[in-house]
Order: sequence, then structure tokens, then C-alpha cells
Amino acid sequence: MEFFFDLVTNGLLVGLTYALVALGFVLIYKATSVINFAQGDLVMFAGYAAAVMLGMRGMPVWLMALVLAVGMVVLGFVIERGILRPLVGQPVIAVIMVTIGLSFVLQGLVAILWGASTRDLPLPVRMEPYILGPVFLSPINLVAAVIAIVFLIAFGLFFTRSRLGVAMRAVADDQQAAMVIGIKVPRVFALSWAIAGLAAAAGGVIWGNMLGVDTFLALVGLKVFPVVILGGLDSIAGAIIGGLILGAVESLAAGYLDPYVGGGTKDFIPYVLMILVLFVRPYGFFGHETIERV
Amino acid sequence: MRLRSMHTALLVGLLLVGLAGLSSAFAAEIIIGGTCDRTGPTKLVGTIICPGVLDYVKLVNKKGGVHGNTIRYIEVEHAYKVDRGVEAYERLKREGAVALVDYGTPIVYALTPRHLEDKILGITPGFGRADATDGERFPYIFPAAATYWSQMGAAMQFLKDKGAKKGSKIAYIYYDNPAGREPLPIFERICSLEGYQCRTFAVPPPGVEMASQVLDIVRRFRADWVVSHLFGKSPSISIREFRKNGYRLDHVVSLVWGAGEHDMIAAGWDTAQGYLGMHFAGVGRDFPIVQEIMQMYRDEGQEVPEMVGTVYYNRGILNGALLVEAVRLAIEKYGMPVTGEKVKNGFEQIQNFSLGGFLPPLTFSAKDHEGGGWVRLYQTKGEQLVPYTDWFRGYRDIVWDEIRKAGKTAMK
Amino acid sequence: MINREAGVFHTSYESDMALYALPLAKITAWGMVALLVLLPLPLSLLQNEHLMSIVNTIALAAIGAIGLNILVGYTGQISIGQGAFMMVGGYTAAILSTRYGMPFWVGILAGGAMSALVGVLFGIPSLRIKGLYLAIATLAAQLIMEWTINHVTWISGGAQSSIYVQNPTVFGWELDNEFRRYYLILVFFLLAYFAAQNLVRSRVGRAFIAIRDRDIAAEIIGVNIFKYKLLAFAVSSFYAGVAGALWTYYLRIANYENFTLVVSIEYLAMIIIGGLGSVLGAVLGAIFIKLFPIALDLTVIGISEGIFGVRYGAVADFLANFQLFVFGALIIVFLIAEPEGLARMWENVKRYFRLWPFSY
Repeated sequence: MEFFFDLVTNGLLVGLTYALVALGFVLIYKATSVINFAQGDLVMFAGYAAAVMLGMRGMPVWLMALVLAVGMVVLGFVIERGILRPLVGQPVIAVIMVTIGLSFVLQGLVAILWGASTRDLPLPVRMEPYILGPVFLSPINLVAAVIAIVFLIAFGLFFTRSRLGVAMRAVADDQQAAMVIGIKVPRVFALSWAIAGLAAAAGGVIWGNMLGVDTFLALVGLKVFPVVILGGLDSIAGAIIGGLILGAVESLAAGYLDPYVGGGTKDFIPYVLMILVLFVRPYGFFGHETIERV
Repeated sequence: MRLRSMHTALLVGLLLVGLAGLSSAFAAEIIIGGTCDRTGPTKLVGTIICPGVLDYVKLVNKKGGVHGNTIRYIEVEHAYKVDRGVEAYERLKREGAVALVDYGTPIVYALTPRHLEDKILGITPGFGRADATDGERFPYIFPAAATYWSQMGAAMQFLKDKGAKKGSKIAYIYYDNPAGREPLPIFERICSLEGYQCRTFAVPPPGVEMASQVLDIVRRFRADWVVSHLFGKSPSISIREFRKNGYRLDHVVSLVWGAGEHDMIAAGWDTAQGYLGMHFAGVGRDFPIVQEIMQMYRDEGQEVPEMVGTVYYNRGILNGALLVEAVRLAIEKYGMPVTGEKVKNGFEQIQNFSLGGFLPPLTFSAKDHEGGGWVRLYQTKGEQLVPYTDWFRGYRDIVWDEIRKAGKTAMK
Repeated sequence: MINREAGVFHTSYESDMALYALPLAKITAWGMVALLVLLPLPLSLLQNEHLMSIVNTIALAAIGAIGLNILVGYTGQISIGQGAFMMVGGYTAAILSTRYGMPFWVGILAGGAMSALVGVLFGIPSLRIKGLYLAIATLAAQLIMEWTINHVTWISGGAQSSIYVQNPTVFGWELDNEFRRYYLILVFFLLAYFAAQNLVRSRVGRAFIAIRDRDIAAEIIGVNIFKYKLLAFAVSSFYAGVAGALWTYYLRIANYENFTLVVSIEYLAMIIIGGLGSVLGAVLGAIFIKLFPIALDLTVIGISEGIFGVRYGAVADFLANFQLFVFGALIIVFLIAEPEGLARMWENVKRYFRLWPFSY
């Protein structure tokens, strides 16, 4: 039983760090209905930038975080302006492909700028876990959890309370209708990429600290697919819930299923779960159900 | 008159061209090829191994080549993609390469039939299949360094020497791909032979998260020893997880791809203290051959790159050194021009090749293309990897029995 | 080149239904085939197996890409699982020819059939899931197939998950070099190409297109969505299976690492860059994706060594990453220039030259 609790708490905490990456993903999908295959690479880019800045002597962590946040927002703007704006109104799948191209560009660019070798990203967070009875809590995961929840609340308020947030939802719902009522759609797109850049910055720092920084950091992008599908591609709360479910399921599968099947099931069980969920709810748990008309 | 002078000029010209051709035939270039992954999923390793080969060959040429012949080493990038690996092989074959350094397990698998058909030797140190040790089945493939089977045998020998006995709990945590699963039969056989209590824990690729497996090993199974066989990003993560759960890292033995400097950096040197890593080439700069390369850099007025002397760089030196040695023996025994077949025969006559303690005493034969299956453990101490054991090996009978068995099933 | 032309009137159904209705189109089609058949001649005179191997790789990829385009481009069901279906074909062929001694063509066809079966199975979610959700569900197919093949020893043939096969022989003629293998691949490539061209303008093809454009509307006009969606999965997976089996005979090994997720995404990239809903586009896309990295590698290294005189070793990392960067940038630039792909670009070129130099 103790082992069970361990697995679940660990899984939930890891799940929140997945959710952190998933957030950026969902934000872009929500406003522009594009699956951003480069989200993992944005996370990687942010991680690199953070590690490089911390590597400079005398750079305090808060300054790094500030510069990184601003920098990633700018990068989001630049990406939108440079390569996505020209594709507004084009088939979605072409835009998706462009994000794949972007991921190659970022991979190459990072290695050219900063080299391929691994760097560490030390944060003033202690390594030893907090021990609460039978449960070990890893501090960095707690930090990630806090950031994820802060983001969730902030974005939740932003989308329901601010004019801009409502405008973003309107664009997500129907671009043409939004344009008709005078919303500047390109501006909303730019904003969503900028926010995704911000989310990537948070993901990059947390995952960079956990894994060390090199171009493999982009792999976390892959782990995010089942999270966003489970939760619903366009739901921010869904990203968090999806992350939590996924983390717990992964963890339990590895703990209880692996010994019987003789192989790592951690990676494919979430997908099986995802397909089952999709059969019942084709738009994920919290996804927006589109009503189709001819 | 004018016509005649033109004829003469033409003749002289032809003669010159002919002479140039002849002279180039005398001071022949021997072409060795290599494939590399500098941008794909194993780039952390590739960007360090491949310069090792390049530098070693450069050093050889600087010292006058092999019996007066320069060696041209051509590297082709394949980004760990199989189709580009095939293209790279065909390109190198066209360039006239007599021997290749193959890189990447799936590429080694795909190229093996081509090597055998074209009679071009390929070394696959640390990659590829363990049963290719059998030189009679795979005449042109040389694992050339301890295979995963030998590594597992050695790891288990180490545990036994450290006091593992009947009933000891041993966990094997591995990357769930062919390379990670390869040592399983050896592990299981030794476990039942010695009466250990063994369990295996799979980490599915890409292995960026393995909290639950480590938790299982440490808190539920309560392993006495852990043998770890992870790749890419996952070794560093396993180190962190073991540490987080309070497990003694000097009871974790990592096979050869899980204990590079970059793993320690990613995990944090402080975190990784005590971790045991297995290597098939020396680590560090205290070897004559590494010193020579450093001197070469200084002579050129360049700074010695940081990577010189690191785990993977030194494996690059191993790759280059073995091929050059094979070419040297081929020229000595069979003369010029060098062909793939001669290099293969030369390779099989390498005896006690150790480059001044840099390598174990590697000895090859027509049957044994592995070189003896020697490894050495290094421990993470401070910001360095320091030797923990001398060169050793273990359970050779079981390893060879598996090789024979693999040969038999393949014959069917 | 030009398949339909104003002012050409057909007097029989046969001529109206012909794949290439104009004599000029017929001649160009036959010309292309002849060119492809004769391609190895100059290369074999030069003994250039290297170039031949590149052509082989492209042709193999084109078969898989055409198949994927039927599913994604014509039927509108996005799939990131092409690699998984190729994997099924590859292992089926390897198992049949090594354990049961079947000839290679049985292996290839059975590989296709088996893959079609698996494709239908993973196509079932498409009846309920749409768009990008489906795309991710096919990603699941990829991971589940990888896992299964890896862990069922009967399929994988042991821990290494790889099965070696012999060179195929045709009438006692062993296909043991790149030139001979080319003809094996060429036969299947031509079959695949013309079969796809015929399929997409048949009743079935029109049903596919109707589903792509608006599936509810298609259902209302009487297209059996259930049947045709699964059929699209089956046909597409059949192509993938054949391509996978051919890969296996080409490399002489079945190994799941040849068909990973990266490969699936590569195939998706081929058809998007080449042009969705175009058979020619799939081929052009395969050429783009397979040829550009190699061409870049050859030229970048050649230029930097020949013109700038740098030593390869000193800048190898930069060159390799620079290529990756340029490749990504090329994808972006091409798609911004023509979001509908290379096939559309080719159409535009043709249109420009059709009345050249007397265009309006």
C-alpha cells in the first residue's frame, strides 16, 4: 500500500510537469487550431538559454528568469510574424508541417549557437526529497506543480475576465466571425504564440533542471500528446487534469504491470487509455465539442 | 617543324601525366571511412567519438603515415537514420574505403549484409550484435570491444567479487530497445547459476522519466546491487532518481553507454558521486597516446579541446587505432595495395594491443572478433572519473556458449 | 504532362476514360517509364552504385508516400502511423521468407495484406474520432505496434528484434546489387503509381474525396462512410506494407528501428511538401525529403572544403547542424511560397509554359 501511495504521488507530481509543457501546446491550439510540433523544441530552446545565462558569472536566478521570460515572449512574436503570418488562411496541415520545419531549425540553431554538449541548469532548489510519512516529495516537482497551478489560475482569469482573453476565445471559436466583429485576428495569433513562449520558458527551466540541458530536452514535447488529447486539445484545465491522470497511470503501469509483461509499458499504456477515452469522448475530457453542420 | 614540336610537347605532357599517376600509385592513400551521428538522437556521443577518430588518424599521418602511406579518413553524417546510413556506406564504398567505423545499432544491423558481400571490414565498437563476435559467421564485422554480453558477464563477475552470494538481490534496469534487451539471456543464466534473486526493470525510450522504476527497485524490491544499461538522456535521470531515493550509487554498475561525462553533468557531479561506470577504453589524459594528441594540438598553436581525454573521445581513439593497426599489419604481411580482405586478415592478427595501458590487451583471431571482452570500471569522484578496478572480464564460458547457440539457431 | 485539353472531343467511352486521354500525355507517360527503366544503364556504366542506392531509397519512400497520400490527401484522415504499417509489412515478409521459405513476392504481397488488416484495425477509431485527435490516435498505433513487435518474441525473433533475410531471386537471378534491386523496386513503384492514379478517379476515389471535403455531406448523398474510411486505411496500409516489405528485402533485414516515429513524421512531411491529394506530389515530396539532406551534405562539405579550404574535422559539428538548419528552413520557405506543395508548383510551371511564349 505504501508503495502504491509512493507511485501515485510521484506520478501526480510528474504529471504536473507534463502539464506545464502541455499548456503552451494547448494555448496555441486554442487560438490558432494548429498542433505545434515545435513546442518541445521551444522548451529546449528556453532551457538552453537559461543554462547559458546561469553559466555566465554573477547572473542571479531572478534576472535570468526575467530575461528568459521576455526573450521567449519575443521569440514567440518573431516566430508568428516570420513564418506563421504568411500562412494565415492556408490549410492547417501546411501550418503543422511548418512547425515541424521550425523544430529542425531550432535544433540546428541551438547546436550552432551553443554547442551540442550537455549543460547543467542549477536552480536554488534542494535535491533531497521532503519525507512526509511514507511519501517522498521531490522539491523540484513541487516547484513545477506550483508554477503549473499559478499558470492555470492566471490563464483561467485571463481568458474569462480580460477583453483580450475573451477575444482569443472568440477567435478560437470562429475566425471569420471574430474578424467580422472587429477583432484583430493576427494580433491574437501573435499573442498566443507569445504566451506559448512564456509557458515554454517555465517548462524549459523546470525540465532543464531535472534532465540537464541539451537538445534532447525537446523529447518532453512527445510526452505531451496523450496529455493534451486526454484533457482535450483546447482546454487549459484539461491540460492539467490530463497531466495528472497520465502521470498517475504511467507510474502505476510501471509499478504493477511491467513485472507481468516483461517490458516497459509506461510509454504505450497512456496511449491505450487515450484511445479508450476518445471512443467515449471524441474531444477528450474537457475538449470543446464542435457541432457539425453540412 | 611546328607540327613536330607540338608532338614533342604532347609526348612530354603525356609522360608527365603518366609519371604523376605512377608516383601517386607509389605513395598511395589508404582510405578509411566512418559514419557518424552529429545531429541525430545520439549526437551527444557522436560529436565526441568522431573527433577522436579524426584526431588519431591525423596524428598517424603527421608521424609519417603507415609505412609511408597516408591514411585518408572520410566521415559521413547519417543522423542515425538507416537510409542515410546506407547512402553513407555506398558513398564510402565508392570512394574506395577498405574499412569502416560503423556507428549506430540499427545502421550496423542494416549494413552487416553489405559488409559481408562487398568484403569491406566494419568495426562496430559498442554497437551492433554480440553474436557478431563469431568471426566465422560474420567474417567482416568486428565488434572490436566488449559486447553487451561480455559487459554483462563482467558486471556480474564484479558483483561476485564484491560479495554477491546466493540469495543476493540484483536488479537489472535497462532501456527497452534491442540494445538494452540484448544482455538479458546472459543476466538470467548467471542469476540462476549463482542462485541470485534477480528482477529486470524496463525503461521505455526515450526514458526521460523513470521515477516509478527506481522507486520499485529501491523501496519494494530492495536490491543489493543494480546493473544499469541505459542510453541517451536516461542514465543521468536514473542517477538522480537513485540518489533521491537514498540508494548507494557505488552499488550501481552502469554498462558502457551510461557513464559518460555528459551524464554526470546532466545529473550534477555532486549527485553522481560514487557511481560506477564500465568502459572499454581508458578514461582521462594520463596515457601516452592522449598526450601525443594534445601535443599535436599545441604544436599547431591551438588550444586542446576540452573533450580530449573524455570517455567517448577516447573510444574514438580506440576506433582509429584498431583500424590503423589492422592496416599496418595488412601492409606488413600482405603488402600493398591494401584491400578489405587484407585488412580483415591483418585485424585477426592483432595481438596484445594495448597502446601503453590505454586499452586492455586486445587479441583478435579468426574466431574471436571481440578482442577478449575486457572492461574496466571507473568511479565518479569529484569532477573526474577515476579507475576503480583494473582490466577484467568474467563468465567467458557463458558468453561463448551464447555465441555458439546464436550461431546454431541462425544455421537452421 | 497535360491530361485534359479544351477542344478535344472523345467519341468513345474508352477514350474518355483513359488514364491519359491525350496522345501527348500518353507519350510523356511512356517516356517517363522508359526513362526510369533505362536509368541504371548510364549509372552501371559508371559503376556508380552510390547514386543508384539514392534512387532506390527515393523510389521506396515514394511507394509509402503515395499510400499515405491516399489516406491523408484524398480521404482527409491524418495519420502519423505510416511507420507502424511499414513495420508490419516488413516483419511479415521476413517471417514468411525465413521461417516458411516463401519466395519474395509472396512476402511482399502478404506483407501488404497483413498491413492492410492491421490498418483496418487501427482505422476503426476514425469512425468516431476526427482531425487532429485522429492524428494522435494513429500515433498510438505507432507506439503500440513498436511495443508489440519488440516484446512478442515470435514476431521479433529474439532480443535484437531483427530478422535477416536472403537476397530475393527472380528466375535464378539473385538481386545482389543496387542495379538489380532497382528493378524490383521499380516494378512495384510503377504498379503503385498507376494503381493510385486510377484509384483516385474511380468511384472509390470520388468517395474518398467526398469524405475528405465534408464527411457528413458525403454520408447524406449516400457514401458509406464506414466502408470507405476503413477502405482508405486498408489501401494506404497495403501500400505501406509493400513498401516495408521491399525495405526489408532491400536491406536484407527486418528491424523495427527502420520504421520509428521519426520515419512516420518524415512520410507525413513528404506528402505535405509534395502536395496533398496528388499522386505526383507524393513522389516529388519523397524526392525532396530523401534527396535534400544528402545533396546538402555533399554540397556543403564540398563547398567548405573546396572554396573556403577548411578542414572537415574542425567544423564538422557546425556543418552537420547547419544542414539541419537549412533543411528546416527549406521546408518553411517552400511551404510559405506554396502551401499546397510541390505538385501545385509544378502545375504552375506547366501552366506558364503551356502557351509560352504567346501567353495572354
